[in-house]
Amino acid sequence: MSAAVRPRLSGQARLLFWTSMLVPLAGLALFFLYPMAIVVRRSVTLGDGSLGLDNYIRILGQSHIWGVLGNSLVMSGLTTLICITLGFAIAYALQRTRMPLRWLVSLALVLPLLAPSLVQALGLIFLFGRNGLINQWTGWGIQIYGLPGLVISNTMYALPQAVMIIGAALRHSDTRQYDAARVLGASPWRRFVDITLPGARFGLLSAGFVSFTITITDFGNAAVVGGNYRVLATEIYAQVVGQMNFNMGAVIGIMLLIPTLLAVYLEKLASRREGASESAIPVQPDRAWKRDLVLGTLSQATALVVIAVVATVVFASFVRLWPYRLEMTFQNYNITQENGYKPLWTSLYASTLTAVIGTTLLFALTVAQRQLGRGMAKAVYLLAIVPVGVPGLVLGLSYVLAFNTRAIFPGMLYGTALLIALCNFYHYHSQGFLTMVTGIRTVPPALEETVTCMGGGPLRGLRDAVLPVMSPVLVTVFFFLFMRGMVTLSAVIFLISPTVSVGAVSVLRLDQAGYSTQAAAFSVCIMLVVLAALGLMRAILWLMSRRREVAAAA
Amino acid sequence: MQLKIRNLSKLYGQFQALAGIDLDVGGEEFVCLLGPSGCGKTTLLRIIAGLEPFNGGTLELGGRDLAAVDAQHRGFGIVFQSYSLFPHMTVAENIGYGLKVRKVAPAEIAAKVAQLMDMVHLTPFAERHPWQLSGGQQQRVAIARALAVEPSLLLLDEPLSALDARVRAELRGEIREVQRRLGIPTIMVTHDQEEALTMADKVVCMNAGTIEQIGSPEDVYARPRTRFVADFVGTSNFLGPEAAARLGQVPGAGQGDARLLALRPEDVLLTPDPAGEGVVAGVTFLGNVNRVALDWHGAPLLVDAGRGQALRPGDRVALALVPGSGTWVSA
Repeated sequence: MSAAVRPRLSGQARLLFWTSMLVPLAGLALFFLYPMAIVVRRSVTLGDGSLGLDNYIRILGQSHIWGVLGNSLVMSGLTTLICITLGFAIAYALQRTRMPLRWLVSLALVLPLLAPSLVQALGLIFLFGRNGLINQWTGWGIQIYGLPGLVISNTMYALPQAVMIIGAALRHSDTRQYDAARVLGASPWRRFVDITLPGARFGLLSAGFVSFTITITDFGNAAVVGGNYRVLATEIYAQVVGQMNFNMGAVIGIMLLIPTLLAVYLEKLASRREGASESAIPVQPDRAWKRDLVLGTLSQATALVVIAVVATVVFASFVRLWPYRLEMTFQNYNITQENGYKPLWTSLYASTLTAVIGTTLLFALTVAQRQLGRGMAKAVYLLAIVPVGVPGLVLGLSYVLAFNTRAIFPGMLYGTALLIALCNFYHYHSQGFLTMVTGIRTVPPALEETVTCMGGGPLRGLRDAVLPVMSPVLVTVFFFLFMRGMVTLSAVIFLISPTVSVGAVSVLRLDQAGYSTQAAAFSVCIMLVVLAALGLMRAILWLMSRRREVAAAA
Repeated sequence: MQLKIRNLSKLYGQFQALAGIDLDVGGEEFVCLLGPSGCGKTTLLRIIAGLEPFNGGTLELGGRDLAAVDAQHRGFGIVFQSYSLFPHMTVAENIGYGLKVRKVAPAEIAAKVAQLMDMVHLTPFAERHPWQLSGGQQQRVAIARALAVEPSLLLLDEPLSALDARVRAELRGEIREVQRRLGIPTIMVTHDQEEALTMADKVVCMNAGTIEQIGSPEDVYARPRTRFVADFVGTSNFLGPEAAARLGQVPGAGQGDARLLALRPEDVLLTPDPAGEGVVAGVTFLGNVNRVALDWHGAPLLVDAGRGQALRPGDRVALALVPGSGTWVSA
């Protein structure tokens, strides 16, 4: 059979296609694949420059690394266990019961998105640290540093994601299954065991993997409240920044990569088996006062703790001398250490870059990917979602190894806000890409084909068929990247220089230097910026939906 | 202008979606591509539109090879089942869209849009947005939008399938009337035989990627050439030569491998007869007629009986054929 007779694309269409395809892929190659390859190479490069597995053997031969690995596993395992138990209870309470004060729980679930991951730890220390308010008042002498502090702060950090995933699984179940069981005579408990639990199984699994992954690779809380309890994330930092032992750092980076990649793979496997039917009728919340009382109290108590911890940070930022002189002052906001507020502006600038570059490249890639054949499209899709399996810490390390070189391209990028922006973009590449793909699937293909048949070129197709549907998605992705850029710590911790630093790092440095109330003040500034961004996003999305309504009313 | 398709074929990987398609559409013809889902009719329409590449054969319009022209430059009009109106544009903007793409002067666009809105009875809705319209109204807008650019060919992809029965019947007539008035050659894809029979000048019956028969609606109904056509368009009984002989039908000379007699239920006349060869197995009420399932020499046979004929299961009947009925088809 002869080759396909395909009308030649116009020059404009070809240019558009190749640009929107190759620029994002080149970005992925240079700022993701290349640094990752360097990490792998450095992990097998020995002191004398030859290749071999000696680094691995040496690291595994050190007795303390097994201790660190064990610590990491115990900490993340415990956190995961708590997260899925508590997460299921809260998700169930939100989805299926008529619990009062739902807004309180929702607020508690939004907070961790607004602040750098070390804010939970910072708040805990203000309450339970050596100079903690509670210890001062009661004289109990609770020891929060180490495992307990890590588990608590990481639970607060991972819980919102667990609730979101489990909640989505609960939302997908079909009320007709419950009706059928009821007609057959099943008690509420039987219905829970036979329908609810099996239905949420993959959600629980997925939430477990996500909790495990983000806590085993988290750097912020570990650095602040870890104390002498050493975990892989702090170990990698100590090897690289403390001892300048890049090759050893690379080995630990690879070790961190393994559980994460495994978790991502298992989660994909699990979600593929989950066949949510499109026509499911959602289950309506009902009332059962005993159940609602227990779940409601648990959810609200958890929410209160999360809110209290963050509120403590806000409160501490206005206190003259924690915890001895609790009078109100603004002096903590007069930050002069660590370049003062300069890192905040750098964060703002870099996050804006992340959002602009990221939204543009992701949109281009999504549009181009649609025009590919099935096999190629799948390859691009896989490449675009691989970054989700790479912890920020490992990505940051890979950037040091790849870009901290001679000051020609690409080494000249090292120490610039642009490189920080790119690192944050590729760190969150996968989530942004998935959102874009979901969005572009809602663009009816027939609409674009109509434009083509009516004589419109590909740019017109984008403007008249794709953009009107996609603009809320673009706004969402833009602000998602911006907000992540503002609060992320683990990737950029390696990329800062004496002159170019970011806000999240300032919080860490101020805390480590003993200026904890100023660290709190700086956190509050970051939270305000993110909160403003969140508000702006909501306002824009609201205006977009409203323009439609106004047009409808006219 | 004449659309000429010769020996066209299409592969999806190893799957042969279309094979050896020959089709001419000319003048002011209204052509229906009719077939079950998966027969390749939509693929053929999309190839004609230029939205889908093909693997072999030729596609010409007025002597010009369409393989070298992409969809954007073919100048055809297309209407999809899903309406596919631009959600952010008003009715008038949607209809004028193709003219705007062609950079026609605004005053000229406004005049053309007004004329088309009048033609499809949408003038009062000019400033509305698509979601404020019913399905039938939306599809009228889509049709007007396709017609605004005076296409050399109008392509309709199951345009009525998403509408309810009443609106569907109404729009059938309207589409046909507008098409006749403007004299634009039109190809419509449908799986609804009634739609094809009532609307088309020419019905193209497709099955498994090939054309089974092309003919006028009367042709394909009264003189189906293959068993598939006789079965898909209307209802048919199929009798082998032996059974057909019992009703006095023998294949004519030169009918080759035509081995089955296709008999419409209305081609058979029943008379109650205690010595008859048919036994009534069941009766289904269809409104205008009763469809009688007969057991006739051990084989089932469907026959339409008038409402006056009160037949009950177990009754014996004698069979006769309406003169000139029955067609020999290839198995």
